[in-house]
Amino acid sequence: MVCRGPRHAVAQDWVEPVTDPSTPVLPTTVTDFTGESVTVTDAERILALDTYGTLATTVYALGLGDRLVGRDISTGVPTLQDLPVVTHNGHELNAEAILELDPSVILTDYSIGPLEVQLQLKEAGIPVVIMDDQRNRAVIGDQIRAVAEVLGVPTAGETLAASVAEDISRAESEVTAMAEAAADPRMVFLYLRGNAGVYHWFGKGSGADDLIAALGGVDVAGESGLEGSRPLNAEGLVRSEPDLYLMMSDGLGSVGGADGLLEIPGVADTAAGVDGCVVDMDDAQILSFGPQFPVTLRALGDAVYGPDGVLGAGSESDGTEPS
Amino acid sequence: MALLVALGVALVAAAIVAAAVGQLPIAPSEVLGSVLHRVGGWVGLDIGSVPSHPRGEAALWNVRSPRVLLAALVGAALGGAGAVLQAVFGNPLAEPSVIGVSGGAAVGACSVIVFGWSFLGSYTVPAIAFATALGTTLVIYAMARHGGRTEVVTLVLMGIAVNAVTAAVIAYLVFLGDSQAREQIVFWQLGSFNGSRWEAVRVVAPVVAVGLAGVMAITRQLDLLALGERSARHLGVNVERLRLTSIVIVSLLVASGVAFVGIIAFIGLIVPHLVRMVVGPSHRTLVPASVLGGALLVVIADVVARTAVDYADLPIGMLTALVGGPFFFWMLHRTRTAAGGWG
Repeated sequence: MVCRGPRHAVAQDWVEPVTDPSTPVLPTTVTDFTGESVTVTDAERILALDTYGTLATTVYALGLGDRLVGRDISTGVPTLQDLPVVTHNGHELNAEAILELDPSVILTDYSIGPLEVQLQLKEAGIPVVIMDDQRNRAVIGDQIRAVAEVLGVPTAGETLAASVAEDISRAESEVTAMAEAAADPRMVFLYLRGNAGVYHWFGKGSGADDLIAALGGVDVAGESGLEGSRPLNAEGLVRSEPDLYLMMSDGLGSVGGADGLLEIPGVADTAAGVDGCVVDMDDAQILSFGPQFPVTLRALGDAVYGPDGVLGAGSESDGTEPS
Repeated sequence: MALLVALGVALVAAAIVAAAVGQLPIAPSEVLGSVLHRVGGWVGLDIGSVPSHPRGEAALWNVRSPRVLLAALVGAALGGAGAVLQAVFGNPLAEPSVIGVSGGAAVGACSVIVFGWSFLGSYTVPAIAFATALGTTLVIYAMARHGGRTEVVTLVLMGIAVNAVTAAVIAYLVFLGDSQAREQIVFWQLGSFNGSRWEAVRVVAPVVAVGLAGVMAITRQLDLLALGERSARHLGVNVERLRLTSIVIVSLLVASGVAFVGIIAFIGLIVPHLVRMVVGPSHRTLVPASVLGGALLVVIADVVARTAVDYADLPIGMLTALVGGPFFFWMLHRTRTAAGGWG
């Protein structure tokens, strides 16, 4: 497989909020992911917190972005960047920092914690709605509708879910068309935090498996029977024979870029390593799914198969060079 | 006695200040106002006032109060446990985290997290932590003592061995756990009061109360034990029973702390030692003063941990180890100088 060195995937734009945002109709009563019934009476001051930044992006896409009073570290929407960040040490919640923002409703899930803080917030009298923390294409629509239901804008939820679903299938066919020339590239998602000594690869159920499927690749970690996020094993990585590494941009930066990446045991000794076949994308986007997913998928598809992509045909002279 | 009163007053003052400082600003006067308001509410009086921040009342009563109380309880438990442990081993360097009692408790607590046990409700973590802490302490006790006393070298080496084994078991549990359990363990291993809830206070308070009552009941006997095993026996002390009782109590106190907030090292070393420097070795003063001093120190350390960096919580175990490590080194040095060697 011809590989043309590391590529950085850039999302062209962010998801547009629905064109005619409705005013929340409250109170709403929902049964959350834990089976508990939660009543929301006020959606003036919203906090939406998870590890992927998906919930806040969804609130924004539903046209309620101006009601968000804080954000998690993974929320990437440009117009929300000035909101106070309430997570630290990566993805740890802090009850006081959250209470200081005086939220009237909190949407969160078990991808972020500690659980005790979420319970404290509930005990402080704030409606805390625990959402589903799965991330893959199949649940995007339901998750959008669930957020919309909590915030009392079910119509906007339907509209957004429908337009996102339609856009996803468009993006999928575009990527599939582009991928035809490449023969099922073998991909693996590396989650690295060099400064914290975290070297993981993502397998089944991590969301990375579905992302790779959407990109028309073979998830080699899942193929090896890996589930969730596991510490990277040098021999296992070599044996799984990846052609391409998918990474978060800050993760790649934390190990010293594409050159530093090769110094991690095992990484250099694969086809992906030999050819420097690395595609990275903004941490807040690459695994967030949600309404932003079509944009993410197109950007990744472009970085992998596009004319200037890592596996792309490129200009004529490039394509005909044997490697 | 004067020291006890002074420590008590300092603890109350520290608790009020601790309740007042934090990322959500509440003035000390507002804390008092809110306490008065609560107390007044119980007896039907409309006095005091609620804090001006819309979530101030909630932050004060649901986030900060349980946190300050839990810090005081755990500090008291660790201070008391340290003082008793040093009496039982006849060695001022005995400390729950140094000799491995805390590590033993940690193994139990991590097992509960990884295997998702819940057969005893919210008491599951402390109960299992107690069981493993007790087992570990008994092993340390049986192996470190020789001829009625414990040598410094033996005790420190035992600590290294026990901590190595518990660290290995915890590492294995981390490997077994799913990513959520892993994060929970890592968070908890650093030692932190972030996320302290009333439920934790409700579980820990009675356990610590029982433990501390037990500690106070044996202070006179511990004083006699300090005269030497033989003399104590002649004065009517059942030495073996006293030792076993002490070990059970220490395990209970350490486990109740470790179960909810992780390993907070060196409190049981620093506090009794400082108290000894002020009032001497009599356990009738040493033990209660260590209990109050431990509570005071942990409450203050937790304030530093949660206010030093905006929007963040520093791991308190890291803070205490940062101060306690050099302190331990200094004590080792002193012991060596005094004893003329490592005996």
